Amino acid sequence: MTRRTSVLRAQLVDAVRRPARTLLTGLAVVVAAFVVFGSVLGYQITERTVLADIGGTPAAVDLLVSGEDGVSTEALAAIRKVPGVAEAVGRTDSFHEFPGTSGDGISVYADPGSGPFATVRLLSGDYPDAADEIAVTPRTAQRLGLDVGGTVRLAAADRGRPVTLTVVGVVATPDDHGTTGYTTETFAARLAGQDRLRQIELRLTPGADPAEVTAAVTAALSRATPAGVQSRATSAGAQPVVRTGAEVRQEEAERAVAGVRNLFALATMFVAIAVVAAVLVAVSTFRIVFAQRMRQLALLRAVGAGRAGLLRALVAEGAFTGLVAGLAGVLGAYALGHALPPLLRAFGLDVAAPGHPVGAALAVVLGAAGVTALAVLAPAATAVRVAPLEALRTATTTAGRRGIGRLRLVTGILLAAGAALVGGLVVTMLPGPNPENYDPLGPLLVIVASGALAFAALVALGPLLVRPALAVLGWPLRRLGPLGRLAVGGVGGAPRRAAAVGVVVALGVTLTAGALIGVATLNTLIRGELAGMAPADIGVTDPDAAPLPPGLVERVRAVGALDRVVPYRSSADVRVDQVDHDGLAAVDLELRALGTWGEFGASAGSLADAGPGRVVLRRSLADAAGVGPGDSVTVVRGDRSVRLRVTATMTDTPVRAGLLVDPADLDRLGVPAGPTGVLADVADDGEQARSAAVRALRSAVGPEASIQVHADDRDDLDGRLRELSTVLLSLVGLTVLVAVVGVGTTTGLSVVERTRESGLLRAVGMTRRRLAAMLTVEAGLYGVVGATFGLLLALPYSWLAIVAVDAQVTVEFPAGPLALVVLMLAAATALAGLLPARRASRVSPMAALSTGE
Amino acid sequence: MTTHHPDPSPAVAAVDLVKVYGRGEAAVRALDGVSVGFRRAAFTAIMGPSGSGKSTLMHCLAGLDTATSGQVLLGDTDLGRQSDRALTRVRRDRIGFVFQAFNLLPQLTAVQNITLPLDLAGRAPDRELLARVVDALRIGDRLTHRPSELSGGQQQRVALARALVARPEVVFADEPTGNLDSRAGAEVLALLRDCVRTLGQTVVMVTHDPAAAAYADRVVLLADGRIAGDLASPDHASITAALHAVSLRDEARHERILRDRDRDPALRDPALRGSAVTR
Repeated sequence: MTRRTSVLRAQLVDAVRRPARTLLTGLAVVVAAFVVFGSVLGYQITERTVLADIGGTPAAVDLLVSGEDGVSTEALAAIRKVPGVAEAVGRTDSFHEFPGTSGDGISVYADPGSGPFATVRLLSGDYPDAADEIAVTPRTAQRLGLDVGGTVRLAAADRGRPVTLTVVGVVATPDDHGTTGYTTETFAARLAGQDRLRQIELRLTPGADPAEVTAAVTAALSRATPAGVQSRATSAGAQPVVRTGAEVRQEEAERAVAGVRNLFALATMFVAIAVVAAVLVAVSTFRIVFAQRMRQLALLRAVGAGRAGLLRALVAEGAFTGLVAGLAGVLGAYALGHALPPLLRAFGLDVAAPGHPVGAALAVVLGAAGVTALAVLAPAATAVRVAPLEALRTATTTAGRRGIGRLRLVTGILLAAGAALVGGLVVTMLPGPNPENYDPLGPLLVIVASGALAFAALVALGPLLVRPALAVLGWPLRRLGPLGRLAVGGVGGAPRRAAAVGVVVALGVTLTAGALIGVATLNTLIRGELAGMAPADIGVTDPDAAPLPPGLVERVRAVGALDRVVPYRSSADVRVDQVDHDGLAAVDLELRALGTWGEFGASAGSLADAGPGRVVLRRSLADAAGVGPGDSVTVVRGDRSVRLRVTATMTDTPVRAGLLVDPADLDRLGVPAGPTGVLADVADDGEQARSAAVRALRSAVGPEASIQVHADDRDDLDGRLRELSTVLLSLVGLTVLVAVVGVGTTTGLSVVERTRESGLLRAVGMTRRRLAAMLTVEAGLYGVVGATFGLLLALPYSWLAIVAVDAQVTVEFPAGPLALVVLMLAAATALAGLLPARRASRVSPMAALSTGE
Repeated sequence: MTTHHPDPSPAVAAVDLVKVYGRGEAAVRALDGVSVGFRRAAFTAIMGPSGSGKSTLMHCLAGLDTATSGQVLLGDTDLGRQSDRALTRVRRDRIGFVFQAFNLLPQLTAVQNITLPLDLAGRAPDRELLARVVDALRIGDRLTHRPSELSGGQQQRVALARALVARPEVVFADEPTGNLDSRAGAEVLALLRDCVRTLGQTVVMVTHDPAAAAYADRVVLLADGRIAGDLASPDHASITAALHAVSLRDEARHERILRDRDRDPALRDPALRGSAVTR
């Protein structure tokens, strides 16, 4: 008993006495604990921030009346008379187009404008208090060129006569979409038609009993609801219901937080992977630490410590290291989590402070201890197998074992075979060209399984792969002279260590490369789709798809704020090869003249080959006709027909074209010469320029044509794509961070292990600077080797994953960003090795060489 | 054989060399005014009891350590006045080392280890010399092996080749047989002596083993940081006798120190007592 505890004490005292080394050993665990507890706090911050500004039902609302069919204005009047009701306001909103446009207009909301129920704040002018008055948001005013005193014409609901509204004020709202106006509840209800409100919000007089008032309001409602409406409302949901404001706010909060919850569920997956990476790093660092203490362990064995006791001591040491590391990580995350909101507030970003989740903190610290104890098991089991005789040995060529055991080899090969087999299974599961009821979830899960197997195989076989990888990757370095040769030799000389670190880097790179490839593919896909949806910033068409009035194209050209004005003809009454395909027109749009030309992608063939006698088909049409590039089709219009050769097909064609043809071929089909539409780009960037251009265009074309602003859609989608890739890459970045820390720790520890080697190099004439450079290059090589492994895994698996979702997609491999990832990791790992390398180079050659220890 | 007479231009020499470790009361004078020259193309052994300063002397002579005062002359160069960079270059270009612990780089093959100093200097190895050295040391069939695949004797012969192939002005050997069994040790020592004869190499060896020192042309004895004897054409018996005399003197001195300490409370310093006892 005493013997066991004394061994334990020897190990633990060592760990306590050297807190810096304990932390260094557990650095990856520190980062993991930091990330885990950081995401707990991050969740709290986001949730609280979202809840703080959902801008939903105002806190002043005590009761809320709503129904599927809305609530009548009579009911509002009745409710106002109910005793105990201090104030009641009606809410409604409706969208009104500008007359003569399609889809262009503003939403008009009912709002009291002041008091506790107001959701807007008056900026200038007055708030509307009569019919035909409106207040608009600043962005709306800017976009439409409106000012206080100006007027705006809107189409009324139910095809009534257009109304002219006077802008009496400008108001601020929580989120300004640029198409928003506010007015009184009575007028808003009339605009919406049928005098109906979406809901009524109530405030009670102080001291009123909510239950009593609710009953009274319900009674008033049933009295106020006309019999006709009641009979029409057969379902129970049609009858207005009364709910408390607290209830409604709770529901709104739940809905708002659901998005946050989903985001963090995704984050949890990546945090888990980062933890796995940290465990891998911890395993490798403990292996190095125990190897360094081999003599001490052998001595303990020689003086009678049992293997089991020693193992227990080492695992306890690991748990202790994990405890310290976990505590450090949690404290760091806690400090940052509470320092960040005030800091952000200073920069004008209002972010809520997180709470003090003691339970979670405790769980993370204990989890860190447990996970580290687990990570220590394998290295400790190897370490305690040391022969007691090792203590007496003086020879110092303790080069690590190069190869791997037979069991590990067989396991690795089996794992690799399993990965290949499962991967092959996925290929057979891939969807055909036109899958029906295809659910990609199954194949995706199988791909994840195959990827996990492949990664496990990499972990097992890594040491065998390091040397071949170095033979290729180290080639340019070896040519750089002895420094490069030594660095390559240093990494290759300890392949097990290089593999252990490389595997973690590989995990980070696999995720990063996968995210990059996915985003790049999605980007190309969306760009193609966008180019089809929004081929130019602005489109001008006739509301009834008739030819544009003569001279209109010239008027559009005359608008100075526009460039790349491209007119085109569209003819809907054509047929292709007897195929009945609805709503697809023949269009002679010259794609090359558009600013988006580079973003169009052919799903087959080449868009560049267009010309007379040739046609580009929309893919759905080509599929229906059973033709592809190289085939010929007959296009019929009335009694005329032309024979055209298909040069390309595309998934998303601009201006809803079924066929893109040459103007000469449309002439041969007898299509009138007048253009039916014009596309144009705004010459200058920025929203102001766009608004100004749209205003200028609107006054130039007048009511004769409708204007579509495509650029807004594109910006919207662009923004969302950027957001997605930022979130994805920062999540993936967690694992990369752990990997870089792993390389730093490994280099740091291996430098200590190789003091003698450094001393020798200094003794035989290597300068300090070159020694530091060599060790730094070695650290960078860990990164390069790992990144290469990662890329080799990422390329096939991201291809598989994307093809599993949609077999028709062309997978994009963004060579530049991928190369950048490898370079950045090499640089980051080299940087991580810089500090330990500098320390090693300061070792005096004599200290390194004198005596055995 | 060799006759002992003063050499007008030694390969390497120490002049009034003093090396003090630590400061104040804990200061230890490891070298206490050592002046000695080492002849070109000669094999000299430095001997002395543990703590006599023989390793410190070698480290100073080899540019691994700088002396507190005095001069180390390697040819015409005063090593005491050199920067770390210059010392590094001196070690790389003008000095060869053989260590007790072999100190081969595990990731390099034998031949890569041999040419390492030349590689670092950016010099191409002299093919003919390399072939001669490899041949003389009988490691021609081991050149592509890594250190872990070589026996101790073979490793030390590779280390010897590394020291020789750069054609240094002096090869310093620090207990080169300390990690070898007596047969492998004898072999290495014989090879070392042959290199002196056939290649005209200057070799300075630190050892505590009289049998090893017997291979040398001259033995310099050190005690308490001072030169305590100088034997020309030594053999096992003369060396043993000289060592015995030196250590007797040493013991007497230590007893004196212990007596003084008991009388003088100022000397009852645990650090000093520790160092005195280990001596």
